[in-house]
Amino acid sequence: MAAANLHSSKTTESLVDPRESGTQLRPGLWQTINERYPGSMITKSEFIPLARLAKALKDSTVCLISSCGVHLKRDRPMEVAHPLGDFSFRRVPSDAWQPDLIIHQLKYPHDDADLDINVIFPIERLQDLAAEGVIGGLTRNFFSFIGYNMDPERFEATVAEDIACAVDEEERADVALLAPA
Amino acid sequence: MSVPYLRGAVKDGDSEKLIRFVRLHLGDGNENVGRKEIDKSWTEALKILLHDQEPDCDFIEQTMQKDSSTLALLYFRLHFYFIRNSGEWIHDGSR
Repeated sequence: MAAANLHSSKTTESLVDPRESGTQLRPGLWQTINERYPGSMITKSEFIPLARLAKALKDSTVCLISSCGVHLKRDRPMEVAHPLGDFSFRRVPSDAWQPDLIIHQLKYPHDDADLDINVIFPIERLQDLAAEGVIGGLTRNFFSFIGYNMDPERFEATVAEDIACAVDEEERADVALLAPA
Repeated sequence: MSVPYLRGAVKDGDSEKLIRFVRLHLGDGNENVGRKEIDKSWTEALKILLHDQEPDCDFIEQTMQKDSSTLALLYFRLHFYFIRNSGEWIHDGSR
């Protein structure tokens, strides 16, 4: 998981390639994925640096964003059959509980998460932290999408941009917790 | 495999790359499993037709009037439908 402060200037700077530094990817992951899906991994020469917290965590409103494909049972299921991926996302009310939610994904084993959804989408743990005052509060909605995607440029221009705008402008989050699946 | 990679394969007429991608997609990253899954979906469809239940041909005719993009995605949807229907569902999220 990674945390990013949202109300920061969007300046970019060249960073050390994480494949070399090993700071953002598990060692060997790049090679493993390229072996199974040649050409699927994207390379970026510039990264938006993670920002420092502007205020204390206990005063911050936290939003959860995940690629796990979790959504409300009543929502339209994710498009898991599309060979290029689903370019939509779902809003998940932050007061939802496990019985309200379903994991709609084909690309990773989620039998453990079916028993306890918090292992990939720690919504109830964040509710606990908010209730205990460890964090200031939660945004009204969290966000979820399917991580499997073969068109990262289109994904960045659509899903990523739309979620970023919603998190910043609609939800007014101070901190976004990014949880890959 | 990224979209530019796949589009390049289409442009070059490299069907082997496209076939490999389809097998990897349908086989959860395993080409051999994908090959078997494709065969399985066709045999499952055949088994259903052997039940002698009258199909709704009007619905099929109407559906076939849809755009090719919708039909292409429906094709993938039907693959997963038949695979799930077969009772041998490898995409259930279990290890």
